[in-house]
Amino acid sequence: MSYGFFYRPKGVFLQTLHPSAALVYLGVLFLLTLFFTHPLYLLAIFLALGLVAWAAEALDAWETCLKVGLGMVVLIMLINPLAVRAGTSIIWSGPEVPVLGRLTISLESICYGAAMGLRLLNVISVFCLYNCLVHPDRALGIFSRFAPKSALIISLATRMLPTLARELSEIKEAQQTRGVDFGSGSWRERLKRYSTIFNVLLFTSMEGSLQVAEAMHARALGSGPRTCYQREPFRPRDAICLFAGGGALAAALCAKYTGAGDYHYYPQLGQLFSGFTDLIFLAAVLAGVLAPVVLSWGWQKCSSLRSKI
Amino acid sequence: MWCRHKLFLKLMRFFLFFCAGAIFIYVFVCKEAAAEQNWGLFSIFLILLVILLFYWVFERSAATSREIAVIAVLSSIAGIARLPFAALPNVQPTTFLIIISGFVFGPRVGFMVGTTALVVSNFFLGHGPWTPWQMLAWGLAGSSAGLMGILHPRLGHKGMTIFNFLWGYLFGWIMNLWFWLSFVYPLNPKTFLLACLASFWLDTLHALGNAVFYILLGRDIVKVLTRFRQKMEISFLLPAK
Repeated sequence: MSYGFFYRPKGVFLQTLHPSAALVYLGVLFLLTLFFTHPLYLLAIFLALGLVAWAAEALDAWETCLKVGLGMVVLIMLINPLAVRAGTSIIWSGPEVPVLGRLTISLESICYGAAMGLRLLNVISVFCLYNCLVHPDRALGIFSRFAPKSALIISLATRMLPTLARELSEIKEAQQTRGVDFGSGSWRERLKRYSTIFNVLLFTSMEGSLQVAEAMHARALGSGPRTCYQREPFRPRDAICLFAGGGALAAALCAKYTGAGDYHYYPQLGQLFSGFTDLIFLAAVLAGVLAPVVLSWGWQKCSSLRSKI
Repeated sequence: MWCRHKLFLKLMRFFLFFCAGAIFIYVFVCKEAAAEQNWGLFSIFLILLVILLFYWVFERSAATSREIAVIAVLSSIAGIARLPFAALPNVQPTTFLIIISGFVFGPRVGFMVGTTALVVSNFFLGHGPWTPWQMLAWGLAGSSAGLMGILHPRLGHKGMTIFNFLWGYLFGWIMNLWFWLSFVYPLNPKTFLLACLASFWLDTLHALGNAVFYILLGRDIVKVLTRFRQKMEISFLLPAK
């Protein structure tokens, strides 16, 4: 089952990062997206995410994610103008509707809806990049040190998923050889036939779970503290990405603190720029966010840089 | 290593209680500041904190290898049941399986099956900003079914069908929260109602799907899982030395 936006090893620079560095970098991108409502910051982050997707060779997956998100963007752009009465530049005034009152659409609410739509696309893009950049096993490896039981459950369940899918098709084949036709009859009859397969799968896999438990018990699970083996090297590239992410977050906090990153949509749209400092903060945030992309480009083009980081 | 693990658990306990206290003070004491809060960001922290709390409780519990294996298998089954129905909007047999797991094995297993099924199936379907909220919603579905199993063990087929049906809507409303908190302004009952209205037909499909799956498959699955729960239970006739 392929939806395009899951991890596939491509040997790109961003996939070689330590999982904690990759998680922190993507976490910073996620925080920045929810941190700002300023349209220019949101647009800049969107473009930066596009560049990260390009560096990760994940433009196809990114495009798919954006298409998935477009439906929700439309919803956001409908709900905000219909529900908000705070805007002063009224474009259209409609009839009285129960619960909602008089329908009015203002320029401010449309702009706010558009900005929030962009924010949604940013958030979706961050998760798309997470799916493309971080191997689930490597991410799980970090948590297994602190939450061994939960990590073991997730590892076991992930391991069992393809096995169960294979068992399911085998049970179906066995039923078909006995003359069960899954393609004929009403939907109720078909569901009944499929439910038989499901019951068999449930029964055999539950029996299997007892065997797995006994095997784990025989290997002394729970008899004492778990040992932990770490083989993820922490390289200069990880430190640079962590530093860049931290820098972007610090610049964002400064922008918020000084008011440069704030933007007011209501009651009237504010000015996009209130001074030169706004641009400096925006550039600082972008520099931090794009540093791993630049590093990725250098890693591809310059072999000496590749050996050093 | 063991000392570090214990230290981590102590720090974690302190961190969780500190965060819970800080949030309580912030929301209920500093009301004016809370009104201006970036709730989209704040709610994500809150949700992650709640999920961490549940996982921390599970890590501290004396879960046996049998319990771990059963949770893994039920999560896999719930996860795999989600994949063929991914194309259908909100009709998926995952919710009713999580509810039955919780009802038979208790709230702890219910929560773990709900969250793990989501994490595992999203490895294949793709994680998104909705992942923490889905984890919470399915986790709560499983744990509430577990509580229902403790409080009303003889709820019956009709009662469980209604419970499954209701969770279709509850799941949708929890999922609407992240959308509403992050992308809608102002945050008032009217805008939340609009968000719920927009998802009404999807929530209805989810609720109907849950009810139909439970009516057709629920009785057999409850029987199978109850049998395994009895098999898992070990009682010592003599005190262990």
